[in-house]
Amino acid sequence: MRFTFTVQGSAFAAALLFCATAASAQVPRMGAHPDLTGIWQGGSTTPGPWEEANGGSGVGGTGRNPNAPAVLSSNDRPAGREGAPYQDWAAKKVLESFNKRGIDDPTAQCLPGGIPRSVTLGLFPQQFVQTPTQVVMLYEYMNVFRVIPFASKHPDDILPSYMGNAIGRWDGDTLVVDSIGFNDKTWLAGTGTFHSEDLHIVERFTRVSKDRINYEVTMEDPKVLTKPWKLTSSLMLREGTHLDEYICAENNLDPGRYEQLLKAGVKITR
Amino acid sequence: MLALILVALLHHSFGAEYDVNSPITLTGTLTAIEWTNPHTHFYLDVKDASGKVVNWKFEGYNPSVLIRTGWKRNVTMKVGDTITVFGWRARDGGNWAHSREITLPDGKKMFFGPPAGTGDGGAQPAVEVK
Repeated sequence: MRFTFTVQGSAFAAALLFCATAASAQVPRMGAHPDLTGIWQGGSTTPGPWEEANGGSGVGGTGRNPNAPAVLSSNDRPAGREGAPYQDWAAKKVLESFNKRGIDDPTAQCLPGGIPRSVTLGLFPQQFVQTPTQVVMLYEYMNVFRVIPFASKHPDDILPSYMGNAIGRWDGDTLVVDSIGFNDKTWLAGTGTFHSEDLHIVERFTRVSKDRINYEVTMEDPKVLTKPWKLTSSLMLREGTHLDEYICAENNLDPGRYEQLLKAGVKITR
Repeated sequence: MLALILVALLHHSFGAEYDVNSPITLTGTLTAIEWTNPHTHFYLDVKDASGKVVNWKFEGYNPSVLIRTGWKRNVTMKVGDTITVFGWRARDGGNWAHSREITLPDGKKMFFGPPAGTGDGGAQPAVEVK
């Protein structure tokens, strides 16, 4: 009996090991490291081609599969998520934006989404191009990019920017991206989640299977946060999708409409 | 503080411009489609109760989102088509609205815009309210 159990246990362990090995074996590699090259969709856990994987009734879904998980807006705070650790004065400012229904959202002015917002959003694809010396991340949303060299040190002459200055390194099979040099004109994750130029972000990209990258981000900003703010999400491979041009300034009517409605005395706040 | 975030993104706030309490369904003739960023727009000639034709403007997703969810530019719906649109009216009560679902001439229904409330902060702020 005991023998049988052991055999079954061993078989089970072997099967588990086989599954784990099979999954990691499917992860394409470049030299000693995983290759993250591909077109990805943030904020999703559903594998498959874009249209098929986005069958729900939420933002960007076709509604053809009502049982599919709804993808929330990046302006929303998902149910169950803890409050962001803002200092009291800063939390009040975040709340003000929420009460103004986010009309002060930098992206409403067609400004870049910043980090981690550009990574975690699901409505638009992003493309990673990896070489032995760098990873290039291209974001359809707002037509922005990050060139991330494998380096041990940030340059000395960083100008504050929307997407920050990023350097990459490998921690085992995880790509670790360290970013500083942000301006203070983006939101992190949710309506009003502002930050200062002291923002420091560490992102961990782990390709756990051919289809999926687990994403973990830690945001530090001693000027506005009380402690590091950590979030996790995932990116799903979208074979057959390509990045399109997104020129937001082409026909951006929203700031004008906000102004027009406010001038007309229409209540648009909560 | 470790939590799964499932997020999409819309360019602007639904709630600032449109009224979730003013849903509207209109049938009319498509007079123009603008395939522009950050939003598409289309225009519909709709007869009001007195028989007068009023041109309505509707906003939708940006072009690439529509293409990725099955729309074909100037094929799926064309100027001259009779379509029915469900959406929500602008807060100022004008003849413009946020489109959600379109019923095409063959009866097929497709989403042209996101759900109500997208981009305006959701049900709960990102911080705890004290």
